[in-house]
Amino acid sequence: MEKFIELNEVTFDYKINGLETLTAVNCVSMSICKSSHVAILGRNGSGKSTLARLINGLEVPTSGTVTVDGIPLINELNAWEIRKKCGIVFQNPDNQIIGTTVEEDVAFGPENLGMPREKMIVEIDKALRFVGLQDKKKTAPHLLSGGQKQKLAIAGVLAMNPDCCILDEATSMLDPTSRKELMKLVSTLVKDQKMTVINITHHMEEAIQADYVYIMSQGSIVRQGHPREVFDEISLLKSEGLDVPVHIEITQAIADLVLVPRISKAAFTQTEACAEINRICETAYQDKTFDFEKSASESQSSNTSEITSKNDSSNRKPILTVENLSYTYSRETVFASDALIGIDFEIYPGELFGIVGQAGSGKSTLVQHFNGLLRPQTGKVMVMGYDTSQKQSIRAIRKKAGLLFQYPEHQLFEETVYQDIAFGPKCLGLNDKEIAESVEQAIEIVGLHPSILEKSPFELSGGQKRRVAIAGIVAMKPEILILDEPAAGLDPAGREEILDFMKQLCAKGTTVVLVSHNMDDIARLADRILVLKKGKKIICDTPMEVFKSREQVAICGLSLPMTTEFMLEMKQKYPLLDLFNYNPDSCAKAIIQAFHKKKKLENEKVGC
Amino acid sequence: MKEITLGRYYPGTSIIHKMDPRAKFFISLALMIVLFFLNKPLPFLIYGAIMFFTVLSTKIPFKQIFLSLKPILFIVLFAFVLNLFSFQGTVIWAIGPFKLTQEGLFAGTKMAVRLSLLIITSSVFLTLTTTPLSVADAMESIMKPLQKIGFPAHEISMMMSIALRFVPNLMEETDKIMKAQSSRGAEYDTGGMIARAKGLVSVLVPLFVSCFRRAEELATAMEARCYHGAQGRTKLHVMKMGRTDYIAVATSFAILVVIVIFEII
Repeated sequence: MEKFIELNEVTFDYKINGLETLTAVNCVSMSICKSSHVAILGRNGSGKSTLARLINGLEVPTSGTVTVDGIPLINELNAWEIRKKCGIVFQNPDNQIIGTTVEEDVAFGPENLGMPREKMIVEIDKALRFVGLQDKKKTAPHLLSGGQKQKLAIAGVLAMNPDCCILDEATSMLDPTSRKELMKLVSTLVKDQKMTVINITHHMEEAIQADYVYIMSQGSIVRQGHPREVFDEISLLKSEGLDVPVHIEITQAIADLVLVPRISKAAFTQTEACAEINRICETAYQDKTFDFEKSASESQSSNTSEITSKNDSSNRKPILTVENLSYTYSRETVFASDALIGIDFEIYPGELFGIVGQAGSGKSTLVQHFNGLLRPQTGKVMVMGYDTSQKQSIRAIRKKAGLLFQYPEHQLFEETVYQDIAFGPKCLGLNDKEIAESVEQAIEIVGLHPSILEKSPFELSGGQKRRVAIAGIVAMKPEILILDEPAAGLDPAGREEILDFMKQLCAKGTTVVLVSHNMDDIARLADRILVLKKGKKIICDTPMEVFKSREQVAICGLSLPMTTEFMLEMKQKYPLLDLFNYNPDSCAKAIIQAFHKKKKLENEKVGC
Repeated sequence: MKEITLGRYYPGTSIIHKMDPRAKFFISLALMIVLFFLNKPLPFLIYGAIMFFTVLSTKIPFKQIFLSLKPILFIVLFAFVLNLFSFQGTVIWAIGPFKLTQEGLFAGTKMAVRLSLLIITSSVFLTLTTTPLSVADAMESIMKPLQKIGFPAHEISMMMSIALRFVPNLMEETDKIMKAQSSRGAEYDTGGMIARAKGLVSVLVPLFVSCFRRAEELATAMEARCYHGAQGRTKLHVMKMGRTDYIAVATSFAILVVIVIFEII
């Protein structure tokens, strides 16, 4: 295969405050073939993005060489040639659109290249057709959805006729549906257009589609290989803060439980994992390494106790009631659009309540009613006995119901972390001592070290900023905490930490409302889930009911949790499998039980 | 928040909508100078009639035209009242030291009409029928000769169009930040002046930080797409002066010359 991109011992340092040097990329060598699909994984701050900028010629290495299509990256002039060959799509859809219309934005690159106008028109047309935006030529970019904006960014790269397209976390701000669409586009780029694609991502599902995977940590490449090899190393992935494919994790969990080693690399696809699990169980059954009988009776007793503890919300008084709520934006104008239509539901104290729905289904409009940012146009919202339509009760409601928007770190503004967290309590009129106390408690809850309090919020890392912002709401000691995608844009390890502390808060009695796109998180964490679609309530029930079938999930416009997806496949082998388990360990146990039941039935048949 | 448009561009397909923005710029320039030479009621009436038919041809509702007058209504009134009392002549009505004269009434009316027509002219030819981006493009093209003496025509135009592009984003962001801080107990609509000014800090700081972040990311994105200033750059939209454009510009300048000659004589 022809080498397209070659990095030879590339190091990149940058200076902070002109004094300290920080090594972002440390002695990295890699070679990428023409028209291959490469994924680069790693935690936030592992140097992935800097690497992308080096390949694209946006940065020049401190030492080592970067060669793209035979051109060595030496200086600005050279970089220009390289940028022509390697386009790049960045993370934030809004901050890479330059044109005031779709067409003009796609034209920006070709214009810079000095492409003749006639050719430009053809290229723009081709690029827009490829991404499916040909009908939006004259549309202003702010009217596009997030997914459409990223498609526009890809079109902008394609119109320049590059050989390579780098995606720098291009899907991290998108909802799952748009993300899937974008990844489909990317795979056609590789297969049909013979482009080289380098995808820098947190998402394991994306990386698994690649031909080759690099894992970066602290500026170096710690592991590389085919996804089949790399994703088999569960402990490595976990130590790098990455997600492990669910079916591989479940296979490993079963192997650990029944004490039969799994064959490495044999569980790469779901189907392979099913076969491997079956092999493991059969071996364990024959070699008697595991007492299936005993584990079945044990789990039965523990199962029943769990169920009784959860379902006693029926006779409690709701903490939040929404009655027949409708909301229309730009009412009485030509732009009027219905955001919410006749919504009814209740949230009970101590619940972890999930809200899901596609982008634009009305989730954030609904959530803004919970603390009176929006007042009901028709219908009623009652929060802890206060009516949100009453102006005088707004203050009391805001004190009790804390609301956190997406990317809350964007609202930090004070000079120190302490002052920022204290902003809320101060607005509530607490005295200095009370403020100091609540700040300390909040910091502890979100898991930050007190030494951070005197720092400026703007010098922290992304994950730390996020936690400071959350602490700002937690310090107000709300009884209901409403979080809109609290883990958006964080790496898997960061996401896990945020969700963990949320679970703890809930266990201590705070009612938590979680809006999320991540079906696995919601299914695993929520007690009940409200599903919205185009402003209407589709269902409001337990995860078990919401995710009970593929058909039901399709009606909701959602996708199944990855665990359920796998369990469904497994059920074809073990018909008595209990599908409703959403974390790998309980899935593993359920599969072992189902295997046991199947064996028992078979034995009975033989016995007859 | 999504339907905000910058300026008051009113979409249409009339001759004036389709004209080259540079032509429209020169026409409104000529007509504005003409306005300052008009002195008698009849020419004002004729000018008004011409504008009336021009508006009709663009199919822009008259309500839009009056809306564009709204921001300067105060200035028009102020000029009118100031003129009323500052002329010597036949006194119609007097109150203390203030004397309302016939000449004053005439001058005041003239001033008010002139100012209103000025705004109507520029709205009809520029703001209502031309997208802000075309205006920016026209500016770049008109200022191009100045580039030789180091005037950054391309850069200014690029800055204008990027600013236009980001206005909706920044408005959305401001709304979001205000809501986020309100959720933390901030109150922007209550309290005295100082409290409110303090409250603004909690909106402005995050907004500025976000602007800088956007600027940085946008600059990188532009660089990644090979932006390197005006040099060697082609354009998707090429402005082309058509026959109608030349005729319209020539006509308006002819009117200007005729009026100037008449007024001077």
